[in-house]
Amino acid sequence: MTDDLLERLKLALLDLDLSSAVALARSAADVPDGAIAAQAVDAVSQALQTVGRRFQDGEWFLAELVYAAEIAREMLSVLSPQIDSHAAKSAGTIVVGTVAGDLHDLGKNIFISYARSVGFHIIDLGIDVPVHTFVDAVRQHRPMALGMSCIMTPMVVNLERVVAELERQELRGKVKIIIGGAALTAKYASGISVDAFAPDAVTGTDIVNGWSAEWTSSSGS
Amino acid sequence: MDFKQRILTALNHEEPDRVPVMGLIMDPATVNHILGRDNPDISAVLQQPESRAGLMQYMNASWYDIYCGNFADALEAAIKLGFDANWTIYALMQAVEDPQAKLGISWRDVHGRVWEMGDVEGAGLTFNYSRPLCITEDEWEVWVADKGPMFDELVKQTASFHKELAARYGDRIMPIGYAAPGIFENSWQPIGFVNFTHMVYENPDFVRKVVAFHTEWYLKCIDAVMQSDVEVVIGGDDLAQKTGPLMRPELIDRLYGESYRRVSEMVHSRGRKLIWHSCGNIYRLLDKFIDWGFDGIITMEPTAGVELGKVWEMVGHRLALIGNLDVSYLLVRGTREEIEDAVRQAIRDAAGGGGYILSACHSHPLVDGTRLGWMVEAAHRYGRYPLA
Repeated sequence: MTDDLLERLKLALLDLDLSSAVALARSAADVPDGAIAAQAVDAVSQALQTVGRRFQDGEWFLAELVYAAEIAREMLSVLSPQIDSHAAKSAGTIVVGTVAGDLHDLGKNIFISYARSVGFHIIDLGIDVPVHTFVDAVRQHRPMALGMSCIMTPMVVNLERVVAELERQELRGKVKIIIGGAALTAKYASGISVDAFAPDAVTGTDIVNGWSAEWTSSSGS
Repeated sequence: MDFKQRILTALNHEEPDRVPVMGLIMDPATVNHILGRDNPDISAVLQQPESRAGLMQYMNASWYDIYCGNFADALEAAIKLGFDANWTIYALMQAVEDPQAKLGISWRDVHGRVWEMGDVEGAGLTFNYSRPLCITEDEWEVWVADKGPMFDELVKQTASFHKELAARYGDRIMPIGYAAPGIFENSWQPIGFVNFTHMVYENPDFVRKVVAFHTEWYLKCIDAVMQSDVEVVIGGDDLAQKTGPLMRPELIDRLYGESYRRVSEMVHSRGRKLIWHSCGNIYRLLDKFIDWGFDGIITMEPTAGVELGKVWEMVGHRLALIGNLDVSYLLVRGTREEIEDAVRQAIRDAAGGGGYILSACHSHPLVDGTRLGWMVEAAHRYGRYPLA
């Protein structure tokens, strides 16, 4: 019964069937003691990983990626209140923002959706984020990673300034940095002091996931 | 062979005397650099509430003249550097006080988008889409019902803008009239991509209504561009992002294909050529571009992984190709040698038998006028037919 419900829940998300997906999430949430709700959250996460793979393989496109994340968000809003928050294990904290002068948020928000779905705690600084705000957030939240988005070529310099300021304040060694956005390339990323470049939100989530185990053991959390 | 013959010959997939060069010059910072002028510090003016109000009033009262003046300067700059053509684009907006905007002022366009100015150090201002104004179906309905006169004004001013520039500069350079943004962007940007995606899957009838509405207005804008002596028209929609199309190509075709075919048919019925602009990784859309009747494509962004040689292998001589010179590094900070190498490579990749027009892949305020000049010089030096 439970397996069937979880399977149908996954399929509904992969069929991009919002109403069925939310109805099934409600069914899972209605089961007392939250046991199935926790499994349903995992099922949503697994389905989103399938969506991500399809996107990376070129089978699915951005609109499908976005809409799947929207459906997952609605499912999780139904399921999450039923789960013991103390039992939920965080994959780590990531501070995310779009650099100063750049008002784009679509790619950043997709990354946030997918990173949350695999258990990351996200501090979203929004768009047009000044250098000092990034640096202050790193100092305050001690995140595992800092993700910066930059879509506009003229604003790339602001990304470099964040990295330089983190170095100046001796915070650079305490946080992994991942960057993404239309203005950036792997070649550019390799020329500045960042740890990774993500061509898309799903790859970005894969990369921070890879860092998570290492960070969790080293931070003792 | 003059600049016009050179462009049209290449677009007909024949070899002109040399590879034509097209400019995408429009940013005042680039223009001012080329024309030897200082960049005015508009950002400082906008930060003072009193002067901001005055500037806003002036911009709203003189929008058309300001826009016309900017593109007149852009054409002068392109002529000075030796380009054969340069794009010309008209947009109608109104400045409003906006506490949400960084500079306290934003611009609303006729379709329902908010645009904001950003300040780029050393290069003046950028002008960018900021957020949607019509995030629900009801808001969209109210907006378009209310803005009818402004749509009419857009069409009228578009016609007058292109007529004026073509008449003033058509004997020295080929103005290529760009009707932007296109039907896809005009339909999703005023609503927002996430909201629009919901509508695509949850209320496709509404989306079809939005697309139909914008198709009719876009055809009027294209018609307005062609009321001038402009012989090559650019239509544009950013249909792709860094790794691929924004939507499944079959879905784009289902929602927009017929509209794009109508645009192509209208342009061709007037004996003009239609070039299509899309940023992003467009490989998966190339067959659609042919199917929709486009004569060529412009942009081919290297930062989105688009390689000119690969595009040529896929659709060379079925689509004319324009662009691909990098603006993330090459035309911002590249050396003269790097620019010459890139020009020679582009010519090798795509110019055999005509069908290629050399150009930057895009424009932004940090594109350097001196480097654009080096690009033109290299094209003149290495682009002579028969190619070596």
